[in-house]
Amino acid sequence: MNYKLLHIFRNTPFGRETFLQSLYFCKTINAHPVVYIPKTDKFLMYFANDVVQVNLDNSFLAFPDTAREHVIALFDEAGIPPRFYEPKNFTASTLPDISSQFDYMCSPRSISDLSSKIGLGLLGPKVRRMIKQATFPILIASPVFKAWQSISVFFGGSANAMNALVLGLKIAIASGFPLKIYTVLENDNEDVYRDMVRNSELEELVDQYVIEWCFYESSGFDRMLYEVPHDSLIVLGAYGHGVIKEILLGSKMEHIQSTVTNNLLVTGPNCRISLESATQA
Amino acid sequence: MNRLKRIYNLFYAKFFLFDDRLVLMTAGAVVGVFAGGAAVALRLSLASVLEFFAPYRQYAWAFILPGIGALCSFLFLDKVVREGAGHGVPEVIYAVSRRGGLLRFRSTFSRLVSSFLTIASGGSAGPEAPVVMSGSAIGSNIGKFLGLNDRQRMTLVGCGTAGAIASIFHAPVAGLIFSVEIILGEWKFINIIPIAIAAVAGAQISEAIIPEKELFQHHPFDIFAGDILGSIGLALFTALISVIFTRTLRRVGALAKRTPVSPWLRALIGGCAVGTIGIFMPIVLGEGYHPIMEMVSGTFPMAFWLIFLGVFLKIFVTAITLGWGGSGGIFAPCLVLGSLTGVVFYKAMMFVFPNAAVTSEGAYALLGMAGIMSGVMQAPLSSIFLIAEITGGYEAILLLLLVSSISSTLSHIIEPSSFYFKDLIERGEFMRPGTDARILSDLSLNEIIDTSYITVSENMVFREFINIIRNSNRNHYPVISDETGDYLGMVRVSSIRKYALDPAFYDMIFLNQIMDTDMVTASFDDDLHDVLEFMETFNIDHIPVVEHHRFSGMISKARILDLYRRELIMQTNIQ
Amino acid sequence: MEILISELCKSLGVSRTTIERWIRQGKLPVSQKGRTYSFHARDLKNWAAKNHISLNLTPRPAQGSEAETPVSLHTALKTGGVYHDIDTGPDVPSVINTCVKKIKAVPDDFKADLTQQLLEREKALSTGLGGGIAIPHPRIPLDYIEHPMVAACFLKTPVDYHALDNQPVSTLFFILFPELKFHLHLLSALSLCLRNRQFSEFLKTRPKQSELIEKIDTLHLTQTM
Repeated sequence: MNYKLLHIFRNTPFGRETFLQSLYFCKTINAHPVVYIPKTDKFLMYFANDVVQVNLDNSFLAFPDTAREHVIALFDEAGIPPRFYEPKNFTASTLPDISSQFDYMCSPRSISDLSSKIGLGLLGPKVRRMIKQATFPILIASPVFKAWQSISVFFGGSANAMNALVLGLKIAIASGFPLKIYTVLENDNEDVYRDMVRNSELEELVDQYVIEWCFYESSGFDRMLYEVPHDSLIVLGAYGHGVIKEILLGSKMEHIQSTVTNNLLVTGPNCRISLESATQA
Repeated sequence: MNRLKRIYNLFYAKFFLFDDRLVLMTAGAVVGVFAGGAAVALRLSLASVLEFFAPYRQYAWAFILPGIGALCSFLFLDKVVREGAGHGVPEVIYAVSRRGGLLRFRSTFSRLVSSFLTIASGGSAGPEAPVVMSGSAIGSNIGKFLGLNDRQRMTLVGCGTAGAIASIFHAPVAGLIFSVEIILGEWKFINIIPIAIAAVAGAQISEAIIPEKELFQHHPFDIFAGDILGSIGLALFTALISVIFTRTLRRVGALAKRTPVSPWLRALIGGCAVGTIGIFMPIVLGEGYHPIMEMVSGTFPMAFWLIFLGVFLKIFVTAITLGWGGSGGIFAPCLVLGSLTGVVFYKAMMFVFPNAAVTSEGAYALLGMAGIMSGVMQAPLSSIFLIAEITGGYEAILLLLLVSSISSTLSHIIEPSSFYFKDLIERGEFMRPGTDARILSDLSLNEIIDTSYITVSENMVFREFINIIRNSNRNHYPVISDETGDYLGMVRVSSIRKYALDPAFYDMIFLNQIMDTDMVTASFDDDLHDVLEFMETFNIDHIPVVEHHRFSGMISKARILDLYRRELIMQTNIQ
Repeated sequence: MEILISELCKSLGVSRTTIERWIRQGKLPVSQKGRTYSFHARDLKNWAAKNHISLNLTPRPAQGSEAETPVSLHTALKTGGVYHDIDTGPDVPSVINTCVKKIKAVPDDFKADLTQQLLEREKALSTGLGGGIAIPHPRIPLDYIEHPMVAACFLKTPVDYHALDNQPVSTLFFILFPELKFHLHLLSALSLCLRNRQFSEFLKTRPKQSELIEKIDTLHLTQTM
């Protein structure tokens, strides 16, 4: 299968780390990165029921003359044939439309906010809206390139978490890395979660690929975050909270991404992940 | 409980999903009210600010006011809300024709604010395009909020437009027609009713807040037979002026892009230039509703030569305002220009034939507006009804029809695409429903591709291959590399016929010796238009799709025709 | 009745992506439950009728003859039968007339018509292949025949059949078919056997029906290997 990952390149050392992360991710799961080098400081992505404008800060536009060379050099280093994305449609002359027909997308922790927040700050509101609308999972890269060697799925039992589990399995099958499931128990006992998997069609695959299923009591969330291996890719389902809910309850996503430095692969409520092609391969 | 749920489901399915007339009408009314509200808000604030600045206009330093306004407007648009360039109407048409009417939330207010800054400070631009943009964005976002599908959302975008136009001009019919003629481009029963409701709602809102009967009141006209000749002459004149206007707008815009100054400085310079001209000729400034009112009622005081000069200055000033960083539409400038042209023509005619039995100066101002509007927008219906409605001048409808049709035909001959569509046509993104371009853009390669192909290995012996063709009805067999799995070439049954009939070849050759390696391939990045172009150029019926060197499937002309027809039915059906 | 997307894909003849796009664009009467879509047969039918769209909700037969199992020579020969020691006159019409009378699977009422047709075909061009073998067949499909058949007739004495190689003919294979598509298939299957030298020799032994069928089966098996 031809999986494609969209990467928006930033021609800075920080952007290089993110891109290395994309390259590593693609190599591991046998996908192809497609690089967009921005020419304007904003672009649009159209999804089924929303349009998201992404504003890039100036660092994305810096040194346009070397950007392409740098990308090609990094591609060569990874041994992947370079491939670029050129926007075909423009909503207005300075507002290109970026296709949303990708299988993954890589995003730095914040794609649009000030550079000061880039390191380990907030998850940009645009990233969150994109997660909510996108039909593909989004890879939120760690600040510094890190070759992950295992996969951790955060499984909370919702439909979205189920999606994340499918995605985790798919990546485990493609990469051959060990997969662990982490669950924080919320009032239920372990069997409820195990039954959930048993009732789905995933049971066989879970038995085959999951090496461990760790359970934590409801207050052990932070302990769980610490016990996730530092070199593993965290796969989780994001729940699209509204603004008010977020203020009242706080966002779990925000908490996770500001606590751990791992790479995160986030599936949104509109993600569609099929295992078909993975199991064939 | 269960029964309740079933009833709910039934209603939900009936009203929300397909038979959605009631929902669309209700939502249309809401959209119309909001869009109308936005239009009224802009009009009122413009009026009050223009009034506030009026006493300062005669001071020499006043030339800087439009400069500051244009600068603020540019900064707001570019740095604060980060909007795209342009006045917005093409963006709305693009969203409708390509993106199912999806518009960003920020568009609901961004153009309102920026055009307010431009016009209030004296820049020559119209508040209508910004109001259309925000009205449509309001419609789109309400549609998004309700989770409607593309078709319904597009109708609501049309509702927003209609409500906005209806409200700013007190002209519900013009709102309806503008929305359908310019924005949606299709006359469908299912669209018209909600849009009409929205137009009425918009007009009612504006009437409730600003009680006036029509925008430009005038004394009744008496139409004479000589006026027919007069209007034909006027139509020729307006067609000329509208072509000059359209071209100047584009030239000045292009020139601005080439000027090597930073955009914000450009906005400042452009604004100041406008201000300087405005000191000598104040009628060219602002949206110009007031001078139009005077001209239509026949009380315009200026001399013939000054008005004649005014026509060209208005063109120039509008081009500078819009091209150099200001924000706004061309609707109101068109009206001003039209009425100036009409008055100039009337005065010239009176000079040549002092005793001609023709109607008043005001009537010619009115006809001039219709002429310029239909010349620039090339939307005769919209301009006829707009002029008739904003002046209450249905007595002149015959002459309006005459002027509009002649003017739009002439300018269409000289300048084949209208001001609103020109950008889109140049980018190849002007797609009305049911047209070839629209169908090709809707059908993606994913939908057409046939993936059920039998692939063969490069090292297969010919005999083995003969057995494969015997048991399959395919005509193309992609050859795959054994080592990498890459696509190498294509074996076409038609081109190997002479070997296939000779059994002596069967054990002598391998497939990589007879495959066709220079067959054109497409990738998923190409759109259907490109693929058809390939087929045309190379005269082939099948084209393999190769992605990252991997064979993904074939696209055949027969399949394209099949789906093209289905798509055409789907896009043009009546529902 | 509820209809799933996958079923609708088939009945409209478009891909799933297309259906999903049409749903998004609001062109199909769909009801949505959570994240899954379903269609009601009645709504769909109304909609299709209103828009003049052909909608075939019962699964359509797969395209092409590939999907049907073609009648094998084996079964055709079983239906047609093998007839030995046929005593005929010395000319073509009498040969055909006698043989047709022998073939059991042809209804008696139509034997005269069949003879007529076969003779017409012979007049146009002799079906004698050479090597003592002829394959008489009508030009047009016969509607009074239920199943395609091949009848083998071994003559008592060889007859001058105006064959291509002017050799007298002693073996006839009658190919009778209700539809044209069987004709070509049976003809090609038969000629595949006849090209085999071993088979021609074997025919001279005037084998019984069971032996003949067995031989054909083994021949076909080796050919397709």
